[in-house]
Amino acid sequence: MNPEFGQNISVVQLIIHASVPVQVVMALLLGASFMSWWFIFVKWFALKRARRVADRFEREFWGGGDINAMYQRVSAERDSAGELERIFEAGFREFMKLRRQAGQSVNVVIDGTRRAMRATYQRELDALESHLSFLATVGSVSPYIGLFGTVWGIMIAFMGLSSVAQATLAQVAPGIAEALIATAMGLFAAIPAVIGYNRYTHDIDRLANRMESFMEEFSNILQRQVAKSA
Amino acid sequence: MIAANDAPHYSRPGPNLAAGLLALGVHIAFLLLLVVGVSWQTDHPEPVMVDLWDALPAPPVAVPEPQPRPDPPPPPEPVKAVQPAPAAPPRPAPVAQAPDIALEKKKAETARLEKLKALQAAEEKALADAARAEADAVRQARDKQLAEQKRRDLLRQMEEDELMQRMAEESAASELRQAREAEARLAAARRQAEIARVVGQFRDKISATVRGNTRLPDDLKGNPEVRFRVRLLPTGEVIDVRRTQSSGNPAYDEAVERAIRKSSPLPLPADREAREAFVPELSLVHRPKE
Repeated sequence: MNPEFGQNISVVQLIIHASVPVQVVMALLLGASFMSWWFIFVKWFALKRARRVADRFEREFWGGGDINAMYQRVSAERDSAGELERIFEAGFREFMKLRRQAGQSVNVVIDGTRRAMRATYQRELDALESHLSFLATVGSVSPYIGLFGTVWGIMIAFMGLSSVAQATLAQVAPGIAEALIATAMGLFAAIPAVIGYNRYTHDIDRLANRMESFMEEFSNILQRQVAKSA
Repeated sequence: MIAANDAPHYSRPGPNLAAGLLALGVHIAFLLLLVVGVSWQTDHPEPVMVDLWDALPAPPVAVPEPQPRPDPPPPPEPVKAVQPAPAAPPRPAPVAQAPDIALEKKKAETARLEKLKALQAAEEKALADAARAEADAVRQARDKQLAEQKRRDLLRQMEEDELMQRMAEESAASELRQAREAEARLAAARRQAEIARVVGQFRDKISATVRGNTRLPDDLKGNPEVRFRVRLLPTGEVIDVRRTQSSGNPAYDEAVERAIRKSSPLPLPADREAREAFVPELSLVHRPKE
């Protein structure tokens, strides 16, 4: 095959014959893309599980079961428990401890319980949001990395053109095609990352809202109980 | 007052392998799509070449039918064994009668008897000799016949061997010839396809060069076609441009003609056979847009 005319330019050949900086950019983007897809799937599974477990817990909680029995069960299986269950467990444990100390006012008991629940809530939210910043970074930066590779490749293609007397499109076409692959890869990495980031941020917000609502409602229930017994 | 069970509980999931495999699958699918689905190819249609050929390609050479295998010659008739006539035993000479003389009768008698005995012995000896000679002759004849038979068999065997070998050689040669012819035909077809491809490619290049040098008039409408006959030097220099069919827009015709002259030297393929489509005369069909 005559390289000057490039009859059959396959993607693989273009990648193999690309200049080293462009190849480095491509490898970088491939790695970023792979990692972002990995986190997309990790988060997808994790959020699906979180939603399912939260649904189950809320059904059980509002189904009028015994809170003490529920607390026993949750503290026994802490590792497999969901986010809402852990918040419930932390709040109820603090509540029990404060109740045991005699002479505490209602406000002190409820404030302490709420603080305990909020701490667990922050921790759970932090765990849920892990890796999301990576998706955001890939989504915003990889098009620029791809663009850098493209600009570099086109620069090299035109530099090669300077040595020939008569410039034809066939002399630069392979170089430009090779360079544009870098942009394509950047976009391929960025688009799913951005979509995943937006989707998961929204999902986590909804979960956070659920957890906060539960905290408030649970505080109310506990407060009522304290007031009743007092 | 800080109890151990006050410590916050962390549950960090380990790396998710299923997610990693799924991510790998996504990339492999994308790569396959890219490699298999997308291929940038600039194929030039073959029919463009049909009217440019001076001579049609030679028709395929008829393959000679393989000759039928000749029958081996009939084996020579075995020669009938020659039965040698048995040699007649020599007749014993008639015994002469001795004169019957009384006196010497006994003597004579004994002599006669002796003589007779001797004669008988001689006769017997002759008979035995004859029989031995006869047996010798028979044995010799049989030996000779056997040797003859053996020689003929050997000769026939050799002839057959030679024939078989010749036939095998012939068939091998014809197979080789056929294979070589098929290869040559294939190579010729491939060569023609290659030439057609190069010609199409350079046709596109020339069109692109001319198009790049054309300054289109302002009043041009549509995509009019103009035909030129361009005489070229082997180096691609334009000698003469002749319009064979106008587009109906004289300004456009002029512009294209100027563009052809400006494009001199036109790009030509290095291959001599491919260049025959362009040199010495090139018929150029031009449209402002592709």
